[in-house]
Amino acid sequence: MKLGPSFRLLLSTLMISIGLSGASSMQAQAQEPKGLRIATSYKLMTLDPHYANLNENTSLLSHIYERLVYQDERLELKPGLAVSWRALSDTQWEFKLRDNVRFHDGSPFTANDVIYTIERIRDVLKTPSGGFKSYVSGIKSVTAPDPLTIVVETNGKVPTLPLSFSSLFVMRRPSQGFQTTEQLNADVPPLGTGPYRFESWSSGENLKLSRNDHYWGPKPAWADVTFRVIENPSARVAALSTGEVDVADAIPARDVAGLKQRGARIASIGAARINFVQFDVARDTLPGVTATSGEAIANPFKNPLVRRALSHGLDRGILVDKILAGYGTAASQVFPAGLPGTSENLQPREPDYEEAKALLAKAGFPDGFNLTLAGPAGRYPGDAESLQAIAQSWARIGVIAQPAAAPFSVFNTKRAAGEYAVWYGGTSGEAVDIILHTLLASPDLARGTGALNFGKYRNEAFDKKLAEAEGIAVGSERNAGLAEATELVMADQPIIPLYHFHHIVGFGPRVGSYVMHPRGWTTAMQTLTATEN
Amino acid sequence: MALVTVALGRLSQAFLLLLAMSLIGFIGIHSVGNPVFNVVNIETATPEDIRLATIALGLDQPIWRQYLVFIGNVVAGNFGTSYIYHQPAFTLMISKLPATLELACVAMLVAAPLGTALGLIAGRRPGTLFDRAVLKASVSALSIPSFWLAMMLILVGAILTGWFPSGGRGATAAFAGQEWSLITRSGAWHLALPALTLAIPNIALIARLSRSGTIEVENLDFTRFCRAKGLSPRRILLRHTLPNISMPIVTIIGLQFGAMLAFAVVVESIFSWPGVGKLLIDSIQLLDRPVVMATLTFIAVAFVVLNALVDLFHAVLDPRVRLSSQR
Repeated sequence: MKLGPSFRLLLSTLMISIGLSGASSMQAQAQEPKGLRIATSYKLMTLDPHYANLNENTSLLSHIYERLVYQDERLELKPGLAVSWRALSDTQWEFKLRDNVRFHDGSPFTANDVIYTIERIRDVLKTPSGGFKSYVSGIKSVTAPDPLTIVVETNGKVPTLPLSFSSLFVMRRPSQGFQTTEQLNADVPPLGTGPYRFESWSSGENLKLSRNDHYWGPKPAWADVTFRVIENPSARVAALSTGEVDVADAIPARDVAGLKQRGARIASIGAARINFVQFDVARDTLPGVTATSGEAIANPFKNPLVRRALSHGLDRGILVDKILAGYGTAASQVFPAGLPGTSENLQPREPDYEEAKALLAKAGFPDGFNLTLAGPAGRYPGDAESLQAIAQSWARIGVIAQPAAAPFSVFNTKRAAGEYAVWYGGTSGEAVDIILHTLLASPDLARGTGALNFGKYRNEAFDKKLAEAEGIAVGSERNAGLAEATELVMADQPIIPLYHFHHIVGFGPRVGSYVMHPRGWTTAMQTLTATEN
Repeated sequence: MALVTVALGRLSQAFLLLLAMSLIGFIGIHSVGNPVFNVVNIETATPEDIRLATIALGLDQPIWRQYLVFIGNVVAGNFGTSYIYHQPAFTLMISKLPATLELACVAMLVAAPLGTALGLIAGRRPGTLFDRAVLKASVSALSIPSFWLAMMLILVGAILTGWFPSGGRGATAAFAGQEWSLITRSGAWHLALPALTLAIPNIALIARLSRSGTIEVENLDFTRFCRAKGLSPRRILLRHTLPNISMPIVTIIGLQFGAMLAFAVVVESIFSWPGVGKLLIDSIQLLDRPVVMATLTFIAVAFVVLNALVDLFHAVLDPRVRLSSQR
């Protein structure tokens, strides 16, 4: 349940004041330190690793199941269950699999299991979430020349196949047939090759794991791990403060100071994701957009000058410093600068209200206009507050914005129904090209592009450039192409990038260090014990 | 014969209530938003994904047909599969029931005797210091919002002193096929603060009822006769006053127990107590219609059953009820 901001404010104020009063800190620690206890906001939905492509599931299931390829903290690809991979031709990939890997029941891991995994996702599962299908839809066939090699044949060029495989958990092929989601949830304990074995799960409550002593990789630091689902951020903060848990993820930025005073430590990293303002640039008239006099006007967002003016008239510093309490990075593109595929030439701009006004005047709106700025509440750090701050910024250039925050499900329903003209949104992906592909490429059902392009923005030059870059194999050349495509599209300002919020994790004295991942995963493998450090 | 008529009337009422409740719940959750956006990952889903998910969940059908399908399934004993967890909705709800049940039971086992006793003692001598203290305390206890009370208990009981955990359910042990925390030490420890949060307003409510009842009964003729007969004040209080004031108390215990089963949402959320109330509010937020409907149906049934039990108790406790039904 989401409690009102007033409640959270009250609790955090209380906690800070306790910290100041010097009350004993980090007390009530477990007398017998055994396993690692993690308070997570991620609610595991199912034990089926192919049910829904959400951090909620992948974070926790990555203890049990493994991928062929990993994305490290720089989002670079690293060997996982596959030790190496190469393109045999434009439509053929070869993956060499790791030897001497065993599933938790002792059976050996072979190419047969990889084939099973791909077939299960591509041909068998009919989950309503269906989030994994796109990773394997380009695969024509998979063959195994020997038990530790697979050859993947694709329909056309798929230079990102290794990246796709970094999202797929490998399951063991059962003696017959395919396992259904119901079976995995009820009867069959999940079986993977990962560093932890499954012990027990109670939906919405906890997930218990124990160390896999036969793990092929570095042995995990903790013999057993308990994840406790605590969705309320204040409750997570309280559990960490009282020492009931060792790690708490998704800490609100406003609670960081209080937690530090109580002896907890903080790890944070810029998230590989973007929050932005998106315009409807397709329709002729828009709901909620009127002249200052209140009369209906033609869609002003079709004019790039207006979009640029709104971008110039926006103070990202306030969003990052005040609303996110410094735990955010002002954005000028889809990923934080420095990650593969980002452009060094794009820097977040300081607000320039004079230039913004001049641009508005040039576009035919010397007095500005009125609009309703929609957005979800409580979905992303700083979402509803950002609407207010953006509205205040825009008021300085004569654009009177009415913030309209709604619960996420209501927001999505209304956005799909076309009730919004301009709105706040957020998205993430494995790589820059995936976000460009879904958020900014022209909507095209057949090619599957523009799924998140709710503004129906179309830019053929950008589409071409992106398609070119997407055809290049993963590497610096591809990254340069993506950066160029980003520069091209951002000049037109189809969205206004706002910020990349930071993932914040707090940890107690039993944890030595915590390595954050920009994808926002919370795992026991990211922690080391205090003695190990 | 009369009893059968009463029971039949009662049952048909309950049936109509359930039907009305299901209709309101169904339309309500439908009008909040489209659950598909919570089922698919809206940040990566293609329009094709959304279309397929809509069909998979049967949401492409008109609402009246969806409702008829739902009613048909319920009659066949099936509330459908949770959109989010992909588990049978009713099983999911039942798995959360022990947590709520033990929380409500412990809270009521604390609140009922304590509240009654406080009210009896206070009401016997109105105007004394004790009476005024009980009255004042009960007013404040009733006017404190439960989220604030829960927070204060976490603050004092968990963060400042470290005596109790700040949330969660602790260790559980299996009994009668379900997991219970009351029978383990850590579980009982985790139960203390949330149960107290639920108990405090109920103590106040019951104490006020029992106090005003006591004052009324103590001034009636029969208590004077008892006193004149030379019965000890203690005997009068326990054997004569208590049974006479028990009707409203039993009623309120029944109603409040039902309310705790159904709507301990705030307390369960703050203490991360994985009960039915928390499941309900989570499911409403995620628009997980099968789970919402299963939970609402359970709540409606629970209220009907509790009300019937309360009536039954009335008959046991009050001879006048028994007599009137025999006539």
